[in-house]
This record gives sequence, structure tokens and C-alpha cells, in this order.
Amino acid sequence: MAEVHLDIDGRKICVEEGVTILEAARKAGIDIPHICYEERFSPSSSCRLCVVEVKGVENLVASCSYPVREGMEVKTNTERVKKARRVVLELLISNHPLDCMTCEKSGDCLLEKYAYELGVSSSRFQGERINYPVITDNPFIERDNTKCILCGRCINVCSDVQQCEVFDFARRGFNTQISTGFDKPLTETNCVFCGNCLSVCPVGALVERERKSKGREWEFKKTTTICPYCGCGCQITLHTKDNKVVKVTSPPDAPVNLGWLCTKGRFGFEFINSSDRLTHPLIKKNGKFKKASWDEALGLVASRLKKIKEKYGADSIAGLSSAKCTNEENYLFQKFMRAVVGTNNVDHCARLCHSSTVAGLARAFGSGAMTNSIGELAKADCILVTGSNTSETHPIVALQIKAAVKNGAYLIVVDPRKIELTQFAHIWLRQRPGTDVALFNGIMHVILQEGLEDTEFIKKRTENFELFKKTVKDYPPEKVEKITGVPARDIIKAARIYAKAEKSSIVYAMGITQHTTGTDNVLTLANLAMLCGKVGKESCGVNPLRGQNNVQGACDMGALPNVYPGYQSVEDESIRGKFEKSWGVCLPVKPGLTVVEMIHAIEENKIRAMYIMGENSALSDPNATRTREALKKLDLLVVQDIFLSETAELASIVLPAACFAEKEGTFTNTERRVQKLHKALNPPGEAKADWEIICNLSQKMGYPMQYEHPAQIMKEIALLTPIYGGITYSRLGKEGLQWPCPDPSHHGTRYLHREKFTRGKGRFHSIDYKPPVELPDEEYPLILSTGRVLFHFHTGTMTRRVKGISQIYPEGMVEINPQDANFLDISEGEIVKVISRRGKVKAKVKITDKSPPGVVFMTFHFVESLANILTIDALDPVAKIPEFKVCAVKIEKLQG
Amino acid sequence: MAKFSKIEELEAYREYLLEKRCTEKKRVRICMTGCRAFGAQEIKDKLIEEIEASGLSKKVEVVPTGCQGFCARAPVMVIDPDDIFYQQVTPSDVKEIVSQTLVKGKLIERLLYKEPLSNKPIPHTADVPFYKEQVKIVLRRCGKIDPTRIDDYLINEGYRGFERIFKEKFSSQRVIDEIKASGLRGRGGAGFPTGLKWQFTKDSSGTPKFIICNADEGDPGAFMDRAILEGDPHSVIEGMLIAGYAIGAREGYVYVRAEYPIAVEHLKVALSQAREYGIIGENILGTGFSFNIRIKQGAGAFVCGEETALIASVEGRRGMPRPRPPFPAQSGLWGKPTCINNVETLANIPYIMLKGAKEFAKLGTRDSKGTKIFALAGKVKNTGLVEVPIGTSLRKVVFDIGGGPPAGRKFKAVQIGGPSGGCVPERYLDLPIDYDSLKKIGAIMGSGGMVVMDDNTCMVDIARFFLEFVQDESCGKCVPCRVGTKRMLEILVRITRGEGKPEDIQLLEELARVVKSASLCGLGQTAPNPVLSTLAYFKDEYRAHVEDKFCPACSCENLFVSPCQNVCPVGIDIPGYIELISQEKFSEALEVIKKRNPFPAICGRVCHHPCELKCRRGEIDEPVAINALKRFVSDYAREKIKPRVHLSTPSKKEKIAIIGSGPAGLTCAHYLARWGYSVTIFEALPATGGMLRVGIPDYRLPKSILEEEIFSSVESLGVSIKTGVKIGKDITFNELFNLGYSCIFIAVGCHVSRKLNIPGEEIKGVLDGVAFLKAINLGQHQKLGSKVVVVGGGNVAIDAARSALRLGTDEVIILYRRSPQEMPAIESEVEAAKHEGVKFHYLATPIKILSSNGKIKGLECVRMRLGGYDESGRRRPVPIPGSEFFLSADSIISAIGQMADTSFLPSSVKKTDWGTIWVNPGTLATSKEGVFAGGDAVSGPATVIEAIASGEKAAISIDRYLKGEPLERLPEVRKKYFELTDLIEVEPSPEKRVKMPCLSLKERKKGFKEIELGLSKEEALKEAKRCLRCDIEKMRGGS
Repeated sequence: MAEVHLDIDGRKICVEEGVTILEAARKAGIDIPHICYEERFSPSSSCRLCVVEVKGVENLVASCSYPVREGMEVKTNTERVKKARRVVLELLISNHPLDCMTCEKSGDCLLEKYAYELGVSSSRFQGERINYPVITDNPFIERDNTKCILCGRCINVCSDVQQCEVFDFARRGFNTQISTGFDKPLTETNCVFCGNCLSVCPVGALVERERKSKGREWEFKKTTTICPYCGCGCQITLHTKDNKVVKVTSPPDAPVNLGWLCTKGRFGFEFINSSDRLTHPLIKKNGKFKKASWDEALGLVASRLKKIKEKYGADSIAGLSSAKCTNEENYLFQKFMRAVVGTNNVDHCARLCHSSTVAGLARAFGSGAMTNSIGELAKADCILVTGSNTSETHPIVALQIKAAVKNGAYLIVVDPRKIELTQFAHIWLRQRPGTDVALFNGIMHVILQEGLEDTEFIKKRTENFELFKKTVKDYPPEKVEKITGVPARDIIKAARIYAKAEKSSIVYAMGITQHTTGTDNVLTLANLAMLCGKVGKESCGVNPLRGQNNVQGACDMGALPNVYPGYQSVEDESIRGKFEKSWGVCLPVKPGLTVVEMIHAIEENKIRAMYIMGENSALSDPNATRTREALKKLDLLVVQDIFLSETAELASIVLPAACFAEKEGTFTNTERRVQKLHKALNPPGEAKADWEIICNLSQKMGYPMQYEHPAQIMKEIALLTPIYGGITYSRLGKEGLQWPCPDPSHHGTRYLHREKFTRGKGRFHSIDYKPPVELPDEEYPLILSTGRVLFHFHTGTMTRRVKGISQIYPEGMVEINPQDANFLDISEGEIVKVISRRGKVKAKVKITDKSPPGVVFMTFHFVESLANILTIDALDPVAKIPEFKVCAVKIEKLQG
Repeated sequence: MAKFSKIEELEAYREYLLEKRCTEKKRVRICMTGCRAFGAQEIKDKLIEEIEASGLSKKVEVVPTGCQGFCARAPVMVIDPDDIFYQQVTPSDVKEIVSQTLVKGKLIERLLYKEPLSNKPIPHTADVPFYKEQVKIVLRRCGKIDPTRIDDYLINEGYRGFERIFKEKFSSQRVIDEIKASGLRGRGGAGFPTGLKWQFTKDSSGTPKFIICNADEGDPGAFMDRAILEGDPHSVIEGMLIAGYAIGAREGYVYVRAEYPIAVEHLKVALSQAREYGIIGENILGTGFSFNIRIKQGAGAFVCGEETALIASVEGRRGMPRPRPPFPAQSGLWGKPTCINNVETLANIPYIMLKGAKEFAKLGTRDSKGTKIFALAGKVKNTGLVEVPIGTSLRKVVFDIGGGPPAGRKFKAVQIGGPSGGCVPERYLDLPIDYDSLKKIGAIMGSGGMVVMDDNTCMVDIARFFLEFVQDESCGKCVPCRVGTKRMLEILVRITRGEGKPEDIQLLEELARVVKSASLCGLGQTAPNPVLSTLAYFKDEYRAHVEDKFCPACSCENLFVSPCQNVCPVGIDIPGYIELISQEKFSEALEVIKKRNPFPAICGRVCHHPCELKCRRGEIDEPVAINALKRFVSDYAREKIKPRVHLSTPSKKEKIAIIGSGPAGLTCAHYLARWGYSVTIFEALPATGGMLRVGIPDYRLPKSILEEEIFSSVESLGVSIKTGVKIGKDITFNELFNLGYSCIFIAVGCHVSRKLNIPGEEIKGVLDGVAFLKAINLGQHQKLGSKVVVVGGGNVAIDAARSALRLGTDEVIILYRRSPQEMPAIESEVEAAKHEGVKFHYLATPIKILSSNGKIKGLECVRMRLGGYDESGRRRPVPIPGSEFFLSADSIISAIGQMADTSFLPSSVKKTDWGTIWVNPGTLATSKEGVFAGGDAVSGPATVIEAIASGEKAAISIDRYLKGEPLERLPEVRKKYFELTDLIEVEPSPEKRVKMPCLSLKERKKGFKEIELGLSKEEALKEAKRCLRCDIEKMRGGS
């Protein structure tokens, strides 16, 4: 970029070409008042408060959008400018209710701020004032158009950032107002209730409904911490008063989310102050829970664990750690299981989501994590999204993808479901569920056939190419079309786009991993990226989107049966030695059991006791009936949670935990970014942070763990985990650090495999297509696919306790294609039975072409219509991940 | 028709068409676009039917055309090749047109246009002034060809400009250079150089590029773009093709409002024909150049004329502007380089490409070349579309082509550029119209809307009207436009309702400037123009509304009951007394008049009656003879009723001195005496009446009437009049206070003539007009010789001239330095003078008086021409060097103006730079406590009724002063003094205005007998019934 020299208020300034006067002035420390301008989205230049004088230009210009020119002379504070600004404010005030004393926005209002700064307390322009009723047509956002100053920020955010285009200006002249199309209630638009509009509203026109009358802006304690929902790792600011969360915002400079949030992040906090929270330890006596003291409860857990270990051996005990807990807690949990209990039977729900990623990418690249960063997506030239309903499951990542498309990038969506991103896609490949390997082999066939591969990269940086090439030869597009149902011409088109773009990035999630061929699927994507040399480079890579806020961290911390923290194999003697030395105990040699294997082992009486920290296996695991029965069979089930979950209900002892807002620690998001939590509230009753509970229990078990603060735990982690080697609390500022960060001088790693792959050379795998285990037949003619929806999270323990969310999305539904619905003679809203070989559930019908014909879709958020009663527990042989995405079902009418 | 695949094929086809064309055939061209609303369709159908019936089908062709421009005369038709112009044709005329004109070649006189003054028929289009003065480049085919036939276009040079590019192998840059050289500027309004815009778009990186034709004509009243699209759509297509070639675009859009169905239809037809011929599409005429055009219909939002809003609308978004830069040339439609040109701009392109830049640039001014089309509307006779070279004066467009305002109305201003434009006052009528000159005076060229306003247009209300429009059309995005124009509108509404606050004008101006400079797009930036320009040129009107609650144009509903009453300086309830007259209640009628005017008999004779100028009846035929009715009532009462005069004496102790017994002094005395004050009038002359007596000759106001009314309205109330007492000589001014007068009203009038200041003025026989009249009126007759020259153009000059005639001179000449339009004398008086034989010599001024032996020989004069406008808003006379001439005369009367003699006043009574007495205009208080002044001594020479008004105002102030009340009072809207109880809805009489019976010319010359004889009772009753009673409507509507 060329440099431009200009003069602002007599100061000589040199800035990059293309910046605006306002930006240039800001750089020079000159503050120009502005209301509609927001640096995170395109300016609308509507408020006219930022006007300045430019020599040679007759009218005043809006500095927020006027680009600098060489030799330009700008005056930001002349009498003419000041007068214009004052008149603008007077005009705004002449049509604005001056009810600041009761306005929720007071103290954080830009109109108030500038009126104060420019000393405009009244208006000489008296006349008509608009007066509209407050719009309260949805549970989250209240719109008071009487207070609206029509700056257009909400419109711009919705169209530029969220790209939902819910709002626009309506009517004309003085009567102009912002409204939805045809003034429909927000619930009838495609509003996703991200609330990003209200986050940028400069006045009190848009406010959170829940925060009303709960305090003035200046009364709130503001604590910036990390969102407890998905793996995006958004920073959120909890506004609290009297130990209650009043509202959630996000700092505009948050590294991942730039201040944008999704509906869960912004409005899904009610669970924190829920009266359902566990406040005391509970011990089940005669089938009923009784309150107990910590001493009593932990004493009981310790003694019973010791007994079972003595009787059946350490490997008869298994533990599930939690992707919702901090790194420190996961570290302590696996340390507890390994060092105190003495078993490697420790796993967590990553098994159910991305174990195939961890396995697959480790084999191909040497490291099982997102290769690149979320922020790089917006700069990609091509993004291939497959098996990820990004807009619903990782809404903030979806913003980056949409931004990329807005910037001109190609978007290829590969998904059987007509997800929101298909609207933005240049090409959408709708494959049959479970045919991913064939499809990507087909794409790679085309690339090789057309010579679009990166031979240089392949030669220098990879191995095993020839064998792979041979396999792929068998997948010409026409043949692939037959397997996948994707037209050959689309396969060719997608191949060309992906291969030819300079920066192509692959984004995937559980549509790829939750298959019996999950590891194969991941390896195939790795093959594709290596084939075109789109890995180890900025805005490229293979990017698995992790589902839970700290699932990456839980894996990193070794809450896995085969590795210690930092993916260090339990079978490697020297590594084991390092841990034994540090922890002062002898450690088990054999890798432990995985999640589903544990359940199966209970049936075989191999597992007698389980310690589950913050997981709801009864709902989240496949073949739920079987899981439930197994859990019931245990001699001892200890559940440590914030609610009495469906799993906790089965426990013998329940330990009350503090939630994310009530403790310190770190989370690692999907892009390997380690970020600090900050305590905003005190836990309810006697609930304690999970790490404290583990420490106390360990103490009782005769293995003292003495940590004053999670920071000390991190010190130990860093010592033992090379990829976290340089991470200390003091270094985790606002931005956090992305691992690998091997030493205290390392600044973290934005994208992996830059010079070389973690494993040295990238390895091609030769993968053949294998069909899913259970395919539809005459009896069970439909494929069931499962997943999440935007408004709910996981087993619903948190989101279902949020009133607004429950209003918007109250119950589980089965999505079915109109064609199938027609064939089965079922109608929208009807309750039907969905039956698989493993069980049946009732669910409400939603007829939608989002599901392809022959495929139905359900979630596992609702215990009342739990998809996992139906799912199959067939496992991927390598990663042991169940095939959540494909099983055979039938649908029956209720009366039939 | 097969596609042409080569240029040569198209050329050959054109040749073929030209050869085939039958020149013997008569062509009847009928406007089938604008004139459709006036029944053109029916006329055309009938015409075809009749032609067939008469077996003329082979000899006559009926050609439906686009607009022919002269919309005021719709429906219009032209018969070629004879160029016969028929106007306001009706279906019933068709038979005759066929049988007479088409068969026999005879003209039908009633259908011909007539020269307004002489009423002489003008048979040929080429001679009709409306057409004669125009220069048609863009519209040269419009109204001539059938727009739905591409062949008509082809034989009229169609697509030859485009062909030339390829025949002469123009590179795209050379095309742009040609357009640059032509000096063509955007006709959409801002006047950006078209070639430069093309260059920017061509040079912008990014593909594809687009051409957009902006046919979103939003200015109310402007319809040239519609006319071009309707009447000559191919010219726009050809323009777009050339533009597309030049900038490297393959695709074009025409953004046209859906309210233009005929334009859309004709454009669609034209596009499909062009496509069929291979003129648009892929590989056009084998040149390798491809170009397609799509139509995008807009919903008719004014703001969509703004480029960026238009782009948003084409893209399917709400038509809202965005900040510029980036300009559309850099980032336009779908973010690609886009060139947006207006319809008229594009329609100029083929001409430039065909004839060359040089030829085009022959027309126009230095900085603006070519022609501009104006849509002439409003208070002008010849409304319609007018194309003239840029730089033509407004006067030529409004008066020569437009015919000026309708009869009896006075031109006031012209709004140029639609709602975003500005009001241009009379003083700029000679301004050459171009982009820059208009901008300098606060208007804009805009799309060329030109709305003419006359004296019945209230400039505040006009500003309000345009503001209402822009506020309605504001997209609402930016604060200054959304809220600012609303607040401006509210202020204007307030002012027009008479609720304006003193600070409003300044607030309005301040706000307007901020809205102009700080708004986001052109709409907001120009929205204040109507306000700012009317504030600049008509601030007095604003002030009148705010300070006096007075709307001089009689337009603002809330501020008056009836126009006649509104403009009467004393606010007589005119409709009230006319109603009483029609009911034969004459004395009641007189009472109504006397409530506001103590001198009905005098005013009934000499008032310049501004009421009649505003009389609504005047818009139908002629105004009601209000003044004559007033005179009738007073005469009737005097003769038939002979009301008893009640003598009264003062009841209050305060004494008031009034200096001067003219109308102002007498009125003031009248009111003060009525309120019980003791009043003494000091009159320097030997007789009472001031100018009424010594300025107005007997033939207009007989002494007996004057004396009688002074007695009955003043003296009988106990007012003492001391004649022959000159303040400053007989008594000093300050002595008056010592004599016990608590208040003094100075109403000394203007009795001192201005000097000619030329050599020879001192010679005997050079008379001063005022002194001359005074002498006559005081009975001193003087000898003038046989030839008299009166210098001046005011009322004194006319009175002097007419008096001179009556003194037995043979020839009286009035020498006036300006033209008749600028003459300040009452028009009816001028007419009467002419009637009596006074000769007028305009545009000449004396420079020297020649004499021999002390006897006048005559005047050396010089001819003048009118130059620029002076402070008074009149054009300044400028001597023409070398035009000197001699005018013989025996006597010369100089009547070039009068001044007040204020030499007697102490310095504590301040004077103005004009020599008049300074007063607070609201209270008439002078700078000295207890001293008030009014009449001509304050205003300079004015009218009787204004002096009366001023006398009343002074009386009220004096009364308040003496009561110790604050002098300033709130103005009030004039009310009816006569309450209507029984309203009988009577149809106004259709009769023509009654003619005032007058003395014969022969009788007049004999002496100073009153000329006007007054109305008879019957005439008065008849005349009174002509009143339209606009007051009733208002009263009803208002109550």
C-alpha cells in the first residue's frame, strides 16, 4: 500500500492509502465525534456528526467514509464544523425522548456522550416527535423505535456481519424507521437472535429484554471471560450485579469473535443463576438423594473407590473428564485417574465428536487440531465446508466464512443437508450420508486428471503419494456420482475451484467425524489438502471445528485413554517415566478404555465404578437405553456437575460444581488458543470449582494435591507438556496464546506445519470408500442423522434453562423432507414415532427440504425426544467414535 | 427482417428506405404521448377513419409521434409538408380538417395559433414564437417521427453516429476524446463533464463495466426524459451503445420509473427492433462489439435519481444513497465500474458522434456546450418542452418562448431545477442559463424543470411546498435531511400559518445551511435551495409573514380572509361592503368602509386599489370594480342619505400636535379625536389636504369632495386645523412641547421636487412638477406655451402632463428614462393620459436644457438602454453613447421625484440616508420620545391609502404611548368587520366588469372637471353581484 501525506488540523500525517480521514485522524490522536461509524463494519455515514472540512471541497464531508488523498488539508474543529455538529445533535435531540433517567442505555449512550461533550442540552428545533410502541415480539430483543436515531448500525451489522438482512429502513422522510420486512415479528424473520444488532446500538433503541430494570450501566461489575458454549472461544463480558448476571456483551477487540456473539453466547446465561443449580453434595440413600457435607461425601467417594480398586483392580474404575471444564481441571482429573486411581481408563466426550480427527490428523500431519486460525478464514479465496452446519454450531466461524464470501471467496459446501451456508455457496454438493470418502476421492481424481495438484509440495513435503494416487484412480466422477448422488459436473467444478484458488481452506466437523469411517474421512480431507499444497500456509489448511468450549483443551490435557497431556503416548516409556517422576507414582502401562468401550465393559462387569465429571453420558452417548442400563449397573457412580443431570440422577454420590463464571482457569478453543477465565460470581451454596473438588478428593485418597490457584496447575502443565511449554498465566493477556508454544519466548502458532509437518512429512493415505454400518432397508427405510441446532447446546442442560431460548425452540423435532412426509402422510407439527432397531422416541414433525429425501434429522438436546435412543453404537475401528450420523430408522404415525 | 451482419448492410437499408420514401404524401403528425391525456387517441382514430372514408389513404399518412412540445395547446397536430400547425384540436374538428385542409388545402382559422397581442393567426409551426425561438438538437426527431418504428429513426440519421465509429475506425479513447472535445456536460443536473466521466469509468480497473441510463426523472414538472424515451427512444439506445463502446461495457441498464408506461413500452419496442436488426446483441453488425440493454423499472422514488441510490435500486435493494467516494465510475453496480448518464445526455451523444464535437460545440457558452431542454410550467402562457442553447437568457425562455405570465399577472420568479433548485427573481431574467451561472445565484440547472411564478405566488409557501416534497422523498438515512428538512418544513408551516416566531427566519437560515453542507447525498444537499434562495431574494415576504402576519401574495390561507381585504393597506372588509351593496344596504356598506377608512369619497376616486389586482374574479375575466363601488356608496350616501354630521369635543386632556394635513395627518387626527384626544393640525399651506389638495388635480378629486370629507371625518370631531402655520418658521418644533402637546405626529409629506441636475435647469420655464400642480390647485394659472415636455414616470409626472393638456397646450410629451414596464405611475392613470393624448417617450433622458435669450428651446436628450438590475429590482438605464437627440419644448416640467422637507426637525429626530424620517416600522415612533412620523415623509412618495394606513398606525401608537402601554403590539390577521349572518349562496353574476362612465375627451380639455362620473345605482348593483365571495368559502372552511 502506498503512503499518503496529509494535513489534519495543521498536523502533518502519513497514513496508508485507502484509510479514511477519521482513521487517519485517530492515528494522529485527533478524536472526531461519530455515532453511526463502527470500525468493524462498513460505514453508513448517516449521522453526519463526523463531518469535517476538506480544503477544496464545498460541502462538509463525513470523515468516516471519505478516503484520504495526497496533500489533503483537513480541519476537524472549525466553527463551521462545530456548528454543524451541534445542529445535528439538536436535530437528533428534537426527536428523541430525553428520558435518560430511566433509559437502560444511560451511561453507555453515544447520544448522551456527545450531547454532554458538545454541551447540547436542548434543541431549538421543536416540532413533531415520533412515538412508536415498543416492540417486544420476541424473548430477547426489545426495540424502541422512539429512541432510534436511525444510525443504521443494526442494519449494517445484520447485513454486513451476520448477513441475515433482517432489518432495513422502511418508510420515508421523517417517518423513516427501521423495521423488519413487512414489520413482521422477529420470530417470523430469519433472525438468529445473535443480538449483535443490540450490541452496536448506540442508544437505547435496542436493549436486552432480560436486563430491563436490573440496574444502571455504571452499577454493573464487568468481567470478561470465555463463553461456555461451543469451541469458538468467544470472549464475553458478564455484567453482574448482586451475584447475578444481568447481561452479556463482548469486547470489540476479542481476538476470535471481535465482539460478535451468537444467541447462546449472548442470551444463554440464565442457567448460571438457575435455582436448579446443585448447592450441596448429595448421597443417594434408598434411592433418594440426601444432602451431605463435603467431608462426608468425599470421604464416601474415597473409601468406596479404594474398596473397589482393592477388590477389582484399578482398571475396574473409569473416569470421564469434561470438555466443559478448564484445562487445569482436565489435567487434574486425568492425573487423578492415572496417579491416584492408577488406571488409564480416562476419556471424555471428544471421543464422540472428534476422536477421528485426533487420530486421523495425527496420522497424516502429526497433530490433531485445526491447522489454521479462525481469523484466517475471512482472507481465504476458497473455503470448502463439509459436514459442518457452521452457522448453527459455530456461528462465529460462520461469520468469517460469510465475510470471506463477501470479500469474493468461493464457498463450496459439501453436505447432505441444506444448511444455511448453502445460500452463500457457489456450489453445493449434496452427497448421500456416509459417502464422503468416495466424493473426495472423486474430487482428487479430477484434480490429478487435470494436473491441478501441487507437485512441488507433494514432492518436498509428503510421502506415500503413489499408493494414494493409485487408489484415487478408481474414482472417476461418473462412478462417484453413482455412489454419492452428486452430479459429476459438480464434482469437476468443485475440484477446479478448490485446486485453483490460491488460498483454499477446508472446514469440517462432525458430519465427517461421526462415522465408522470417521478416521478415513479425516484422512481423505488431509489427502486433499496435501494434494493441492493447501496446508502449512495462511488461510489454508484442514480445520476441524471442535464442538465444546474446551474439548480441544480436554484432549490437550490428556483426558484420553492413550495419551498424557500434549498427546504424549502412555505407551512410551521415557514419557511415562517423566510423568512418574513428576507425579511421584508408578503409572499404568496399558492404554485405557474409550467412552463407549467403558459402557460395554460395564456390561461385561469389567468396570465397576465410574467417576463422571461434567458429562451427561445418559443422553450424549449412542444407543442411550443401553448406556443407561449400563450406568445403572455400576457399583459406584460419582457425578460431579452443576445440575442434577440425567446422568447425575443415576449416581450414588453427586458433587456440586462451580460453573465457568464462578472460577478461574483456562480454556483452549478450536484454533488452539489458550484463553483465561475470570471469576465473575461466587458459586451457589457450597458448590466448588472442579479442580478444588479433585484436590480435596485426592487428599482423601491419600495423594495430596496442593494448588492455591489454577495458575499453579498451569505451571505444572507447562512443565510436562511441550506444546504448552511456554504458557503461563502472566503471558495470557487479552489475546491468549495459540499452541504449540514451546517456551516462554514463543508467541504461539497461528497455523501449523509451516516449514514442516509435526510428524516430519505429511503422509498420504490410500483410502477406499466403505459404506456405513447400518443402511436403510425395507423395514427401516430412512437414514437418521443427528446433530445440533443453533439455539441449543449438547444435552440441553444449560440452554433449556434459558427461558427465551426455550420459548424460541421448546422441543425436539424430527426434520423430514416434504417428499417423505407426503409419502408417509404426516403433516407439520404432528407427533410421530421414530423407531430404530435400538428403540423408539416420539417427536414433533418439521417438514423441511433442509433434509434430503430419505434422510431425517434429530438432535440430542431433548431428553423427551432423544435421538440417541435410536443411534447405533457401532464404532470407527481406530478412533472408536460411534456412527451418530447414519443409522436406519422408520417413522410411524402415533395412532398407527 | 433478418439481422444485419455488416455496417454496409444497414447503410444500404437506410438508402433503400430513403429512396422508397414517398415525398408527395401528406403527413399528419399527432402527438400520441402527452396529448393522449387531452384526447389525441380519439382524434387520431377519427382522422384515420375520415381519411379512409374520403379515399385519401394513399395520399395522407397519419403519424403518431412523441411530444411536440407545446403542451399548453394540447392536443396539437402538424400537417406536413405544409407545416400547418393546429392546436387544441377536438374530435369534432376532424371532419373539417380532412375536408378543408387535407382536401382543399384551406386553413381552419379557429385551430391556428394566434399571436397574443394582435390576435393574428399564425399558420406555420416555424412562425409560432414558441417554436421559432427554439434550437432543437436533442428533440429534433421528437414529435417528427413515429417512435415505434425503427425505420423512421434510421432515415432520420439514426444510428449513423454509431456507424461512424466503425467506419472511421475510432478507438474507444478517440470516442471519449470526441465527447470530451464536445464540451457536453451531464444533463441530469450537476453538469459533470460527460467525457471525463466516461474516461474515469474506462480507466477504472474491474470488469465487467456497466452503463446505466438514468431515466428516473423525479422533479415534479420535468418531463424531458420521458418525452425523449417516448418520442425518440432509439437516440438513447444509440447513445448507450456509443458509451458502451467507449468505456468497454457490454451491458447497460435503463432505469426508468414505472410511472412512465408509454416510455417503457416504446423503449421495449425500440430494444426489440434494435435487437432484431442486430444493432444490439452479440457481435453488433459484425464489428465484434457486443452490447445488451435491459430495462429496470423503478418505483418512482425521487432519491433514486441519485446515482448510488439508483444503483442500490437496480441491485434490488432499497434505494438509498451511500457516501461518495468511491464514485460509481470506480465502484458502482455490483461493485463494478459503472457510468451513469441521464437520458438527455445520452440522447446528445449520437448527434456529437455524427456531426463531430466542433459542430456541437458551436452552441452554448464557453463552459457549457450544446442545448438544454426545459420543462416550462407554472404561471406562464406557453407551457411545454423548450430546447434552447445553453446560455440563453431566462427572459427569452420565459417571455419570448413562454409568452410570460398570464394576462394581468406580474412575473415574480422562476424555480429552476425542481425541488432541489432555487428561485430566481426578476433581476436575473437576463442571466444566461448555464450550470455555473445558476449555481452562483443559488439555483441549479437540475433536470431543467422551470416553474414560473407570478405575484400571486407566495414565496414562503413555495419554499414550504418544495420542502414538503423533499421531506416526503427523503430516504431518511442521514440526520440533516431526515430531521433537518422536517424541522425546516415545520418552521415554514408555522410561518405560513402566521405562527412564525421572530427567531424563526434566522433559525431557518442556519438550519438550511447545515442541511446543505452536511447532508449525505445530493437530495439533502440541495433540499434547502428553495428556502435559501427565497430567503435571499424575498426575505421581505418572510418578514411580512412573521412580523405582520401578512401574506402579500394572498396565498397563505390562515393569514387572510379575502385577497382584496388582505392587500388593502387599511384592511377594509371589501367583500362585506360589496355584499351590502348588492343587498342595497348602502349606508351599512358605507359604515363597513368607514370602520377602516375615514375618507371613502376621496379614496373612491384616487385610490390605486391594490385590491383589484388581487381580485380572484380577475383570474376569470376582470376584477370587480371595487374602487368604483366604494365611490358609489360614498356618493350615494352623500347625495341620497345626507347623513347628519355630529359635532363632538375632546374628552381627554392630552393634547396632540400633528404637522401636516395630508391623508396621514388627517387620518391620525380622525382616530385620535374619535378616541377623545384633543388634536391640533398645523398646516403650512393656506389650505388643508396636503397632497390631496395640491398634488392631485381637480379632474381626479374635486375640491368640494375633499373639503366635505375633511370636515365630516376630521373637523366635526373637534380637531383644530391651523393652516398657514409652518413649523420651523412660525413656531419651532421644540416649542410645540412647551405649548402643552404631549405628542407630535409628523406627516409633512414629500413636497420638494428632486433636481434634474443638468445644465439649464435654472432657466425660467423649467418648472418643478410638484410646484406646478400646487400652483394650479391653489388657483394660480400659468402659461406653458404650445409644447410641454414632462420629465419623469411617476404619478406627479402624469398629473402634470394631464394638467398641462388642460391648460391649453398643444402637445405634451412625457420623457421617461426606462421602459413602460418600469414606470412607477398608476397604470390606469397612464392609460388615461395616453387616451387624452399625452405622448410618451421612453428610454431617454435629458442631458441639457437649451435656451436662447432666456427662453427655452428644448432639451438635448440621450437614448438609454436597460442594463443590470439595481437595488430596487429594476433594470438600470444606461445611456447609449452617440444617441443624443434634440427635443423642442416651450416648457419643461421636471417630475423625477420628491423629497420631504425635514429641515425644521431637531437633530434628535433621526433621518434616513434617503432623507426621510427614521421610524420604528412597527410603531412609527421616531428617535425622539413622544414624536411619531408617517406618510410620505417616512416612506417617500407613496399612495393615499398607504398614508391613511400610516396615519392610523400612528394614532394607535400615540394612544398606547399616552396610556403608558408598550408601543410594540402583536400583529393580527385581518378579520371581517361585517359578520355574515344569513349566507345566501348566490351564483356570481356572469356579467362583464362595468365601465366607469367618463367625461368625453372634448369636455376634458375644457378644464378640470371630474372625469369619472361614478356608477349609477343599477350599475353598482350589477357590479356588486360579480363578486365571487371568496371570503365566504374561507369563513366556512375556517370555522
